[in-house]
Amino acid sequence: MNQFWEQTILEPLRELGRQAVTSLSSLVGMLVLILLGLVVGWLAKEVIYRVLRVLRFDRLCDRLGLGTEIERLGITRSCSYLAGQVVQGIIVLTALLAGLTAMRTQWTQNLVERFFLYLPHFLAAVLILIVGALVSRFLGRSALIAAVNAGMPSARLLAGLVRFFVMTLAVVAALDELGIGRTTIIVAFAIMFGGLVTAAAIAFGLGAKELAHDLLNAQFRPPSRDAEKDTIQHL
Amino acid sequence: MAEEILTSQVREQVGALGAADIVVGIPSYNNARTISHVVRAANAGLLKYFPDRRALIVNSDGGSKDRTREAVEAAKLEARELLLVQYPLQPVHRLSTPYHGVPGKGSAFRTIFRIAELVGARACVVLDADLRSIAPEWLDLLLRPVLEHDFDYVAPYYKRHKYDGTITNSIVYPLTRALYGRRIRQPIGGDFGLSGRFLQRLLTRDVWTTDVARYGIDIWMTTIAIAENFRTCQVHLGAKIHDAKDPGSDLSAMMAQVVGSVFGLMETYENVWRNVFGSLPAPLFGFPFEVGLEPVSIDLPRMLAAFSQGCRDLRPVYQQVIPAPLLKELTDCASLPAETFVIREEIWAAAVYEFALAYHRRTITREHLLRSLTPLYLGWVASFARQTEPENPAQVEERIERLCLVYEQLKPPLLNRWSAGKG
Repeated sequence: MNQFWEQTILEPLRELGRQAVTSLSSLVGMLVLILLGLVVGWLAKEVIYRVLRVLRFDRLCDRLGLGTEIERLGITRSCSYLAGQVVQGIIVLTALLAGLTAMRTQWTQNLVERFFLYLPHFLAAVLILIVGALVSRFLGRSALIAAVNAGMPSARLLAGLVRFFVMTLAVVAALDELGIGRTTIIVAFAIMFGGLVTAAAIAFGLGAKELAHDLLNAQFRPPSRDAEKDTIQHL
Repeated sequence: MAEEILTSQVREQVGALGAADIVVGIPSYNNARTISHVVRAANAGLLKYFPDRRALIVNSDGGSKDRTREAVEAAKLEARELLLVQYPLQPVHRLSTPYHGVPGKGSAFRTIFRIAELVGARACVVLDADLRSIAPEWLDLLLRPVLEHDFDYVAPYYKRHKYDGTITNSIVYPLTRALYGRRIRQPIGGDFGLSGRFLQRLLTRDVWTTDVARYGIDIWMTTIAIAENFRTCQVHLGAKIHDAKDPGSDLSAMMAQVVGSVFGLMETYENVWRNVFGSLPAPLFGFPFEVGLEPVSIDLPRMLAAFSQGCRDLRPVYQQVIPAPLLKELTDCASLPAETFVIREEIWAAAVYEFALAYHRRTITREHLLRSLTPLYLGWVASFARQTEPENPAQVEERIERLCLVYEQLKPPLLNRWSAGKG
């Protein structure tokens, strides 16, 4: 009778108790780690924000055009603050993952492992998008200024197209890096790009025959005397 | 030890020639049509005005492909030594032809100055190879202040059509004058006289391979002369007529090169110009005579259209560079009818200072900044041309003088903001 009690009632209860204590300690460990992450993250954010402000990081971002791009996304915070927030996010995320690891269950281990495998791709995609935004802005502005100086009436449209194409390329590359709909996106992009180029070529050939003629003439034939309205020497 | 830019062969040639009092340098690149005239005029000037001085004429050519060297050889001189040297044209010179002067004009000048230094020249004169209006008297005018009056830098003073040299008249001259306090009317004229000690100073500088030497050698020399207190004067040379430039040349690239050089020098000589207020005239020698000038036609509607489009399409760029009230005043001008179109001097000078500040602070990419100035500049030229249409040269000069005074008046606020912008 005693053995029965021992094996069927008390032992499972002890086991349950042991597991509860283990789980509880893991849970407490996780909570402590997360709490620590939140505190350290907040501190890091504040320190980074203040240091970057002293180092005039916002001005650098404005100069690079990053500030304007961020503003365009509807984010009103300064680049220094955002950089602090990014660091805070990374620290909190790391603490969360450490906490999950502390749980010592199979699915949390798998989750953490998969996260770390995916992280480089994610970071690469973010980098591609940032570089893409900067390059599209630079090339867009180059095209805008060149087109205005050349007196092209559709200068803004041209600049917008340049920005759009560069950004599209960057998004496609970023999605490809993330492995999201890889084939579909590349095929869609190729179809869209090829279609647009073909459409533009046909439109230019048919609709702007005169313009094409004039452009080629201007490019390869010396200007006639009548065309030289300005004989001004600027220097 | 400074880098030797002359080949051993050229050094031997120079050594064989011996000492010379005067060196006449003519940098060239594809100037076959005009260079023999320039060489002959230089030779005639030396014979007539400096018969007792030993002189050397140096043609520093950047690898012309139009028989420029043959044209120089054809102008064989009797009493003068003629030295033909080639300066190395760097890949960057080939890729990016300057719109002001020959490619690698800095290298050409450096070669000429080094030769002048080797022969111990007391005076050196540099002449553009595309000149059509040069006369032998130019040699006397450019050299005598150096040889007999102890000047170090002789700048040209040309008679020009009121629509000629508009970048000089609207930006380079007023800005240089307001900054450094010397009234050198043609700071990027192209034909200069230099003393031996001044060219030795120039040779010690390490800017010969930079953009300043590449595109802004003239304004660089003028600025050094003023900023480093060399004795500077001007001489009346009459009209400057030179071979027509390529009509398709890109104005915005020219703006970027010339104005970029002036803005770049503002950073180099900040410690000099921040202590200068007002301006003093530079001594002017020679006889001011009236000359017939070639007519200049100007396409006002095109310029006004460029200005309006710039104000409309480049607004996002200008918003980063020009404060809102000033930008509003500028864009308000765009809505004026052509008959009453005017940009006031205060607005123009303030806009140029804002661009200088933005260049200093690197608010946006410098190339973008400088090129985006072109539509505003065309607006200013249109305004200037419309207002000066009925005016004679003296009245036009008075108008330029007023603009210069505005630049000088607006300098103190620029100074405060320049320092505040340092970081």
